[in-house]
Amino acid sequence: MDVRANRREFVAGGVGGALAVLGLAEPARVRALIDEVAHGRLPDGGGRFLSAAELDALRAVTARLLPGPPQDPGPGALEVHAAEAIDLLLGAFEMRPALIHAGGPFSGRAGGSGDDFAHFVALDPQAELGWRIRLEGSRGMPEREFAGPVVGLQEIYRRGLARLEELAHARIGHDFARAGTAVQDELLSSHDHVVSRFATAAVANCLEALCGPPEYGGNHGLAGWRGLQWRGDTAPDGFTAAQVSEPDPPTGIVAESPEASLRASSRLAVLARVAPLLGRAGRRDPHAGAATRGEQG
Amino acid sequence: MVIVGSGAGGSVAAWELARTGHPVLVLEKGRNLLPGLGGRGQVRTLFSNDEVKAGRFFEDQDPILEPRTLRTVAEARRGVGRSFVGDVNDLPTVVGGGTIHWDAKVPRFWRQDFKGRSLLGPIPDANVADWPLEYDELEPFYDEVEDRLGVQGDRSRMPATTLAQAPRRHDFAMAPNPPMYAGLRLSAAAEQLGYHPYPYPMAVNSRSLHGRPACSSCGFCTGFGCPVNARGGAAVSFLHDAIRAGAELRPRCFVHRVDLAPGGRRATGVSYIDESGAHRSVRADVVILAASAIETARLLMLSAGPHHQEGLGNGSGMVGRNLMFHYFSVGAGVFSERAHSWRGPATTFTLDDFVGPVSGAPARSAGLPYLKGGCCEVGGGTLLLEEASLYAGAGLRGAALTGALRGLALRDHITGIQLNAEDMPQSSNRVDLDPRIRDFRGFPVPRITHTPHRFELAAASHFAPLLQEICAVAAPTSETQLIGAQMAGSTGGHAGPYATAHIMGTARMGDDARTSVSDRFGRLHEVPNVVLADASVFVSSGGFNPTLTIMALALRAAREIGR
Repeated sequence: MDVRANRREFVAGGVGGALAVLGLAEPARVRALIDEVAHGRLPDGGGRFLSAAELDALRAVTARLLPGPPQDPGPGALEVHAAEAIDLLLGAFEMRPALIHAGGPFSGRAGGSGDDFAHFVALDPQAELGWRIRLEGSRGMPEREFAGPVVGLQEIYRRGLARLEELAHARIGHDFARAGTAVQDELLSSHDHVVSRFATAAVANCLEALCGPPEYGGNHGLAGWRGLQWRGDTAPDGFTAAQVSEPDPPTGIVAESPEASLRASSRLAVLARVAPLLGRAGRRDPHAGAATRGEQG
Repeated sequence: MVIVGSGAGGSVAAWELARTGHPVLVLEKGRNLLPGLGGRGQVRTLFSNDEVKAGRFFEDQDPILEPRTLRTVAEARRGVGRSFVGDVNDLPTVVGGGTIHWDAKVPRFWRQDFKGRSLLGPIPDANVADWPLEYDELEPFYDEVEDRLGVQGDRSRMPATTLAQAPRRHDFAMAPNPPMYAGLRLSAAAEQLGYHPYPYPMAVNSRSLHGRPACSSCGFCTGFGCPVNARGGAAVSFLHDAIRAGAELRPRCFVHRVDLAPGGRRATGVSYIDESGAHRSVRADVVILAASAIETARLLMLSAGPHHQEGLGNGSGMVGRNLMFHYFSVGAGVFSERAHSWRGPATTFTLDDFVGPVSGAPARSAGLPYLKGGCCEVGGGTLLLEEASLYAGAGLRGAALTGALRGLALRDHITGIQLNAEDMPQSSNRVDLDPRIRDFRGFPVPRITHTPHRFELAAASHFAPLLQEICAVAAPTSETQLIGAQMAGSTGGHAGPYATAHIMGTARMGDDARTSVSDRFGRLHEVPNVVLADASVFVSSGGFNPTLTIMALALRAAREIGR
């Protein structure tokens, strides 16, 4: 059975909320796709790749990886719809073009006309092969295992969530999502290889949802950028000479949220951990993990 | 003429040959993400201020499809085949090559870089040699390339040493961009310490030029395709006009062999796989290889045959050897004010005070006659997702992670200086064909074997504290002190070589066919109608961003072909 084709037919075929999606202008399409999942409007209440139960568990996971109110005053994973954005990435090939690379050059948020980002760039056959391997894994197919087997992100998430449930049932006798936050944190810190691999991927994808453009399905209502006082994409307007050459006025962000601010001692503690990595910031380290790339066998 | 690769060297060669009436075919293994390239109107772009897209291999080689492998020299001696498979110093694999997301810094190499052996002497366990040309021979090509690119700068502020080592006949086409705040602060500190910072020459429009707009300092510069094409580069500055002059560009065509006439002394064309996967060949009088230092070496090895059993043109045994990366060192400071050092064209200042050579105790203690560093990128910063990934990489999770993003907010406060230091050429640092790992097309991938020479390590240990001292004067905060102490205790400010996009050597030029692969115009000694037009021909790595020198050498080589 061609699952992909059937899924695509489902999206295009007018079941439930999908009809409304088709009628929307392109810039709102991804938002509507996310909203369908966020509000449980797909027939099984799940996502485009994850089941309803998996999606619930993933929401609980992301809420611990990037907590929001009340534990943290700023928007967290739930507020930016991180789990739904991850589901959209995992099911990227359910749509045409696949929702991998947003378009360009402008979103309209800083000049330009319209949202070019929302018009995703079609993958050509070569790029599609790479992304199918990355998302779906090599699945024993010779044409995908030229450099060895690859575990795809779909399997990393599915197996990771399943293992978390196993651990949760063994530990407390019920689902991960119903566990207390302390137990959830403990389970997510497990040294179990399947869990740690999953958690690493989930952190990276949550950060994309918090910090990336909303066209990928996260950063709902620009909550991520607003909460972090980040302007986001700035082209074509860019910055004035004064904005480049003079410091910005203080944000007052720390004073506004004292419960979330880092005390001086905490700031130094964080910096002490970050400092050894600074030399590699912004560059790929071949020895570093790559959460969105699946795993090279 | 067939040209393999549309990056810095290939596009310049295509422009020179097409505009002088030669039939030119450019085969590029990447996609074309610049709609309108070669058309009548403006070149458009699909690039954007999008950190997610930049991390999803939009323009970069996909390491799942085309991995590289890596090992150290010590591992190689122990028989380890590879210790890493994936992204090893990958460059954009796209029409325009590395210049698609470069930060367009275009310093010139210095006179001393071309004559290292005769001016400074040998370094133990390294292949220090003179280039078969001098700065004066390259200078007019530097001028011409700069003119096409459109380069901003301020000659009046360049140090006398720089102008003596890299003389300029002409002023820059444009004034510098608005200076970045962190760069201003670091420059002031550097001057206070007796150094000589000045506006970084860069191929970025500070005013409308060549039909492209001025830079708006959007901040998504190095590592991102320019969303307005204010940044010059191979595609917009050369290939666009090359196509308009008659050159043909075929994207998604992977060249896997240089074809030879009987006897093996003359190339007849190349064999390649096109975007449909079909195997094809094309005949040519001249084959120009400009696939980048690693990929050109790989192609020469893939082209081994009865007359070139160890790789095309490899009678010297030097193909793939003397691979050089720049060795980066960093200093970092944290301002109390919001210095937004990500805002602008990556950096707007440089300084040459750490180029060297430095003799005396720092060199003697490493058993070396001298040390060299390189130019500095003064005042870079970090974007939001990059910052978040940094915290995650440090192990922060949950409220600690979101709290750091909000309360520490390094993107607003941190800045740095990076030294692009010279890397010694060594025979044992090399590219060869991995005997086990293949790419998705079934061809052996390049295997990189590399260990830094003690020259680089000693230079980094000498210069990194000086970088940190500048940061400490510019940003005298407890956070800067902590970073300095932490870096000194852990990395020592060494960022190392493995993530740089500055890749050189592997087919060095020279007059002696026994010790070099190509001649002074990049022609293979053994197959003269195969011409190398990328950084593979570099004899030394200098201490400067290499792309301008790649372009100048490619223009010189192409003009020689046309003569």
